[in-house]
Amino acid sequence: MTNSPTRIDAHLTEEERHGLADDSLPPDRRADAEAHLAMCAECAGDVARLHSLMARMTQLPDTVDAELDTLWPAIRSRIERGKVVSLGGEPAARRSRRRVRQAAIVAGVAAALVLAFTLGRETRPQANVVLTPGLNTTPIVSIADSSRAYQEEVQSLLEELELRRSTMRPATAASVDRDLRIIDGAIDELTDALERDPNNPALRQLLAASYRQKRDLLKQADNAS
Amino acid sequence: MPLTHRALVRPRVTANDVPVPLADDVVRRAQQGDVDAFERLYRAHAPAVHALARRMLGNEGAAREMVQDVFVRAWERLGSFRGESAFGTWLHRVGVNLILNQLRVTRRDVARFIDDESDGDVPIATAPAIGVDERIDLDAAIARLPAGARTVFVLHDIEGYAHDEIAQMLDLAPGTIRAQLWRARRQLMRHLDA
Repeated sequence: MTNSPTRIDAHLTEEERHGLADDSLPPDRRADAEAHLAMCAECAGDVARLHSLMARMTQLPDTVDAELDTLWPAIRSRIERGKVVSLGGEPAARRSRRRVRQAAIVAGVAAALVLAFTLGRETRPQANVVLTPGLNTTPIVSIADSSRAYQEEVQSLLEELELRRSTMRPATAASVDRDLRIIDGAIDELTDALERDPNNPALRQLLAASYRQKRDLLKQADNAS
Repeated sequence: MPLTHRALVRPRVTANDVPVPLADDVVRRAQQGDVDAFERLYRAHAPAVHALARRMLGNEGAAREMVQDVFVRAWERLGSFRGESAFGTWLHRVGVNLILNQLRVTRRDVARFIDDESDGDVPIATAPAIGVDERIDLDAAIARLPAGARTVFVLHDIEGYAHDEIAQMLDLAPGTIRAQLWRARRQLMRHLDA
């Protein structure tokens, strides 16, 4: 960066041209630079072009055309997985790390079961208490138990999956089946636990979350097929 | 030098600054673990996050991955949002930080990738061509910039961050930032004039 005073008869430096265009040139150098512009068509034209470019940038829309609704199921799935797996910790590994994820789901469900029993005993008078990421150990009142609604949606998606199975890549189908087995295992365990402790609100929430995971997985499979 | 943001620099109203109806209540419910409320925030703010990611990363696939990462991270960090700024502003900063982190990971460090690009243009073979008859597309032209110049250009000329703030974020000298910015503008002018 040059700090020497601008001579009116010398062409503007790159710093001065951009500084005039974006109004960042210090005031003490601005007068000389503008005086030069008044007598030099070449520099004036260049600064005008730079200024025009920046003006066009302000016209850029804040959004670009894209269908983003399709991203939400995957985000929700990752959020829900984070809830079940770590209950306040860091998110699960990326989708591509399938083995780690499966192990985490199994371990997470086991941990969640233990925690659910504990929470159920400690918070029995309250309704629907779960932990949420970002708030760590702060118990909160969550949305109502919605296992039944998810079950109906899951059933419908399962039927669609069977119809589309023949068009899916074998690896994708195998992967979906493997994940479904893991989630079904968690659902079975939670259902058994609820039979033993039917008034445990945390267990009901975890069961609903598992069904929601299953629904999201089936939706992803539907999108992939 | 005081830190600035596009909301302060750019004269127009942006999606980040438009309050979502009942935003405070929606944010509060999301902070309490209501994923449906968080979905409302996603639907309101995802387009702006996507635009930021696409312009900074120059790639639609990477941008869509980044949108997911930003919202998952935002969910994890919701507890740290105190309402001192608009939710969109907070989310925007989460997005910028994540994108810069990714650039650091993929390029080892931003300084290095910026220095590596100190001369020359994007190789023609890797730059998507803008058709002669195609309407001039600023976003396409921005995507053709080298990563380092594009990062600085988007942060300064589009997002409204100051030289010094960008220098701080990238751990580079302000002079390096200015040089990248000027380079980006010159290349854009060439692309758009072509």
